[in-house]
Amino acid sequence: MRAAFRVPILAALVLAGAALPALAEQPADPTGDESVLSQECRVPGAQLYTAARLGAVKAALAEKRPLKLLAIGGSAAPGASASYPAKLETALERALPKVDVVIDHRGLPGEVASGAAERLRTMVVEAEPDLVIWQVGTHDAIARVDAEAFESALSEAVAWIRSHGIDVVLVDPIYTASMAADADYNRIVEAVRTVATQQQVPLVRRYEALHYLSSRSDRGEGHMLGRQFRLNDLGLRCMAEHVALTIVTSLGRTDAPAEPKATPATSPLTGPQRAPG
Amino acid sequence: MRDPNAIDFWRGFALVTIFINHIPGNTFERYTFSQYGISDAAELFVFLAGWSIGIATRGRDGVPEAPGRSVVRLLARTVEVYRAQLTVMLLALAIIAGAALLLDNPLILEWHNAGGFFADPIQSVCGMALLTYQLGYFNILPLYVVLIGVAPVFVLVGRVNLIAALVLSASIYLASLVFEWNLPSWPGEGDWYFDPLCWQLLLVLGFVLQRWNARSDILRRWSRRLFPAGVVLVVAGIVLAVTEIRPDPMLVPEPRLLFTFEKTYLTPARLVHFLGVLLAFAPVYALLAPRIGRIVGFLSQLGRNSLAVFSMGSILSLVGQLVRFQTGGGRLIDMLVAGSGLIGLGLTGWFVEWRTRTKSSRPRP
Repeated sequence: MRAAFRVPILAALVLAGAALPALAEQPADPTGDESVLSQECRVPGAQLYTAARLGAVKAALAEKRPLKLLAIGGSAAPGASASYPAKLETALERALPKVDVVIDHRGLPGEVASGAAERLRTMVVEAEPDLVIWQVGTHDAIARVDAEAFESALSEAVAWIRSHGIDVVLVDPIYTASMAADADYNRIVEAVRTVATQQQVPLVRRYEALHYLSSRSDRGEGHMLGRQFRLNDLGLRCMAEHVALTIVTSLGRTDAPAEPKATPATSPLTGPQRAPG
Repeated sequence: MRDPNAIDFWRGFALVTIFINHIPGNTFERYTFSQYGISDAAELFVFLAGWSIGIATRGRDGVPEAPGRSVVRLLARTVEVYRAQLTVMLLALAIIAGAALLLDNPLILEWHNAGGFFADPIQSVCGMALLTYQLGYFNILPLYVVLIGVAPVFVLVGRVNLIAALVLSASIYLASLVFEWNLPSWPGEGDWYFDPLCWQLLLVLGFVLQRWNARSDILRRWSRRLFPAGVVLVVAGIVLAVTEIRPDPMLVPEPRLLFTFEKTYLTPARLVHFLGVLLAFAPVYALLAPRIGRIVGFLSQLGRNSLAVFSMGSILSLVGQLVRFQTGGGRLIDMLVAGSGLIGLGLTGWFVEWRTRTKSSRPRP
């Protein structure tokens, strides 16, 4: 089964460049182009995300119904109340004109490896979304949960969501200097990546992105609590943009057909992905 | 101070279990009974609170006190619990913020949903006062405030007819399951972690069973007869917990909350499992008490002072999590954290009783 998915995805990746001109006909679609990011959030695409297909989202768009998103985790950016979901909605509606995006934003305290994964199921059942955007790993990392236990619990949860025809985008934990050399922490970040690859879901590589941003000169903007807190604020401000770009890029690649003109809007490729189990 | 008894003992036992379970990932977690069943210590704690209300609203001779007095007593307790929740929340936020500053690590700010508070203090501080903003693991006391706040209704109805109190409570419970009623979280979307509309049933059940138990021998006789059923439920709980078998909330029929295992709504499966635990373990205290007097004394002292011990336990478990995080954990650290936590809980119980003793005998400084 897995190999069968991989072929079209590889093809999509190879053809992504070729597909761009075709997609460029839709002027507002910034597929795979990090230049749509605001100056302070700009990170090269390769360091920001791994794209994968989003069949359920594509189907919702094809049916021209509102796109229901469940955004899990992540607080609003400092100073602006609930701005992450609001900004994400704005960013997605700008990138996908004529699409009504509805976001349900929930906190999910607790560890995925013990209990939080169960709570997530409840949230998914209640929200009935097309796509779950899951910032994951922070609580397990802080609780020093064994990375393997975390990985298997996360993998199981993601597989469960996808088995019900719902797409998932994973967002890995933040980069901060004091954790950079922490082996456990890196293993958790790595586990999120592994699950994203195995389950073939898009990944927002927040760790890499913030690492990249932290390496840029930050003269001129201070933070009264120090450099790491400034970086954290920046990460929170950029979250929405980074997630939106990952989704839009993944969407572009979901459709990227082997023969661009022959494929209808509801690509048959989305069929097997919606029911992998 | 009252002598050690089964209620205080099991309350103390629940408090220790909650303390250990609130340090996720620690070595001792796997030795708590919460890992081996569908229900856990939260059910025990709320049930015993209801049982205690039954005792507290009567004199030693079993004669009920004046209804007005019971109402005021319960409202006074509600204020006390509310005050404890505010204090504990403020301290928890300060500990999280302080640790983030000291360790130069903004990651810590995201702990237990505290990020929402630091991002949006204007709304969050209102939510804190309204109890609609709750940190992860700091959500039992808000449930308590609501439960003890509405307890007078059930106590007064129960004075007239205990069955009526139980029917009223069960109706609210069932309606909440069917229509998925819950109190909202704010700021932020979502609902309370412990749905008071569902959990009130356990409090009322504790209250009603205490009354029946005090009135006649029938309850005790039936609980002895049903002991094997309790054991079967406990074993079934162990099997389900170990094999991680549970219903898929997406596939169960409607109304789905009647069939899932969700803690938030105290779903029927959890309730039935808890009643099984109750039946199976009710005789245990009488067996243990003469053999492990020291431990019974320790746990009973915790149980007698449950609010103070619970509050201190919440703070100590948060500190324990920080210690585990910063040191990287490990068996030795876990022993240290759990050991000093238990000593801290014991000292809290002792201190509250010492203060009560001295307060009554001497004028305040």
